[in-house]
Amino acid sequence: MSELAIDIRGVTKRYAEHVAVHDLSLQVPRGAVYGLLGPNGAGKTSTIRMILDIIAPDQGTITLFGQKHTDAGVLDRVGYLPEERGLYKKMKVRDVLKFLAELKGVPGADAELRIDVWMDRMSLKTADKDWGESKVDELSRGMQQKVQFIGTLLHDPDLVILDEPFSGLDPINAQALKDTVVELKGRGKTVIFSTHIMDNAEKLCDSVCIIAHGEKVLDGAVSDVKAAHAGRTVAVSFDGAPSTAVEAVLRDRTLISSLDDQNRFLELELADGATSGELLRQLVAAGASLQRFERVQPSLHRIFLEKVGATGVEAGMSGHG
Amino acid sequence: MGKLIAIIKREYIERVRTKWFAIATLLGPIMFLALTVLPILFVSRTVATSASSNITIIDATGAGLGARVVAEMKDTSATPPLVTVVAASQVAAAESLATTAIMGEQRQGYLVLDSATMGGTQARYTGRNTSTVPDMRRIGIAVERAVLAGRLEREGVTAARIDSLTNVDIRLEKTQLSSKGREKSGVGTSIVGLMMSFLLYMVLLLYGQTVLRSVIEEKTTRVAEVVISSVRAEILMAGKIIGIGAVAMTQLLVWIASSAWIATTLVPKLVSRNAASGATDAQNAARSSELLASLPSFSIGAIVAILLFFVLGYVFYASLYAAVGSTVNSESEAQQASTPVAMFLIVSAVFIQPVALAPQSTLAVAMSMLPFSAPIMMPMRMSMIAVPGWQIGVSLLGMAAACVGAVWLSARIYRVGLLMYGKRPTLRELVKWLRYA
Repeated sequence: MSELAIDIRGVTKRYAEHVAVHDLSLQVPRGAVYGLLGPNGAGKTSTIRMILDIIAPDQGTITLFGQKHTDAGVLDRVGYLPEERGLYKKMKVRDVLKFLAELKGVPGADAELRIDVWMDRMSLKTADKDWGESKVDELSRGMQQKVQFIGTLLHDPDLVILDEPFSGLDPINAQALKDTVVELKGRGKTVIFSTHIMDNAEKLCDSVCIIAHGEKVLDGAVSDVKAAHAGRTVAVSFDGAPSTAVEAVLRDRTLISSLDDQNRFLELELADGATSGELLRQLVAAGASLQRFERVQPSLHRIFLEKVGATGVEAGMSGHG
Repeated sequence: MGKLIAIIKREYIERVRTKWFAIATLLGPIMFLALTVLPILFVSRTVATSASSNITIIDATGAGLGARVVAEMKDTSATPPLVTVVAASQVAAAESLATTAIMGEQRQGYLVLDSATMGGTQARYTGRNTSTVPDMRRIGIAVERAVLAGRLEREGVTAARIDSLTNVDIRLEKTQLSSKGREKSGVGTSIVGLMMSFLLYMVLLLYGQTVLRSVIEEKTTRVAEVVISSVRAEILMAGKIIGIGAVAMTQLLVWIASSAWIATTLVPKLVSRNAASGATDAQNAARSSELLASLPSFSIGAIVAILLFFVLGYVFYASLYAAVGSTVNSESEAQQASTPVAMFLIVSAVFIQPVALAPQSTLAVAMSMLPFSAPIMMPMRMSMIAVPGWQIGVSLLGMAAACVGAVWLSARIYRVGLLMYGKRPTLRELVKWLRYA
């Protein structure tokens, strides 16, 4: 039995106009919560679609649980929540779920039992109302999202792939999704999610892979990634507005390679050869009244921006976009 | 396999449950009833009704012609003709009395027999039913025979001889002779042929577009991506086509079964009830059964062939419609995009009539061989004439090949199109899609 839930080797996908994924290799260990990070158009969805055999790679191999991903029954162990979500509007909720379960090889009677459990758990079935008997389009958007989760998880998949799962979710469903991910991990399931929202990834993921322009930029355990970039980031804040002398220090490119104003503090990236001690000395010499000076672990967000750079980010995407 | 069945089951059950399906399924037999029973009732209408005997006969001949006319009418109804024998001078008074009876709705009309009738030139009829051709014909024939019988009697022929001599009832039996030889003729064959081709056309168009809408629904609601993460796109397309095809088949079977019941049980019943109320039920029944008998009878082989034509035609059009559905983003776009496919069907429908009028012509042979029109034309020709076996074979083979091509092409377009949103692809882009694999 393979230790890896997903093993992608040298996968390339070309379209007529562009290369969506180029020579991508990544390994996801079993039981991990794995983040696939990248700006819009980086090739996340193409990668996921290739894992699910929705599209075929031009080159490379994809192995799930040690088996070729096209082998019979392998994909029945995978649950998928696409970025663009939807259900059959005119069907009864229960019938839709049963259909989705049957597509994953769950027999009808078994599916009925599981639907009951999940409907109860997602409070779609209460003493006074069973939404399972309603048509999908009679449900609120939030409820439809819940039904969609249930559809993804009904067959108790060993690998769950969530594409931009938090987009469009209300806070209650976002929390429910987060709880579900944690619970799945607790049961030894592997969860992959793709996102461009780094905060979510930083909180939830054990490991991440950052891709841009269809190529892997870096991957590894979140703690390792952060440790590898540690010591170069300093958080600074001042009492009142910084003086001109202080501003001059902050603009010194030999000292600070980049600066990100976080409103309540500045996140500074030390330039090559510069040290935090040198920076502190210069700031004090410039007469800064420091409120905070702290060497911090960089956020995944900073690492992402640093690694992908402005060129890897689509126009209009900045900050926590 | 289980997944394919799950898809087929969903398509089938969700569609059969709809109101639209129930209404269309019920409307079929009603249409059939209208198309078949009404003509049959019209046919029985060509035979006189009992009303034609409910008349007053004013006999001013002084030779008992009125009684003879009654005898010739061979009436068995509850209201036999009433004979009033009057002198020639009293005809006007008798007529006004008879008119009162008509106004009072006791009688349908009155017949005046006088010396001119005896002379073999004229009899007068006044009544409500003068425009009912069969009624007038019945009375006219009865008068002619009565006059003839009176003359024969005066020549010394006995009453019994007269009866056997004048008992003539010719039915003209028609056989159409064409270059192919003797064929059963009549309205029945062409009605069935035309109905069948229109039915096939309608079913292919309606259910082709159902496939189209079903694909668009899955694409626009984005369910498609979830589904094809569990099964291959080709399986989804196949399941959809088979499931909707099963719905079409169900509807056709209901239509055929109910139509068969109408033709074999209900129509004879209606005809016999109609006949029972009339005088000449034997004639009536004979005419109706003549019409029923003129309906073409199909051998098992022909029925299987016709079913094959339907199935292949459906697969051909449904897969093309599925491909179109996968390339569009909304139903309104689909209208435009599906026009080329619909054109194939419409062109076939336009030629239904010319082919029906000349099922032997080169046009007819060609249209029944071309894969896009064969499923409509060949069954129609088969119901009208004896189509040579080789033509049926070639046509079926051609269709099977066209189906393989259409399915191959559509599956490739479908697989790519289902995940493409935004601008509709150009023809050049579609060709590129075929290479994506």
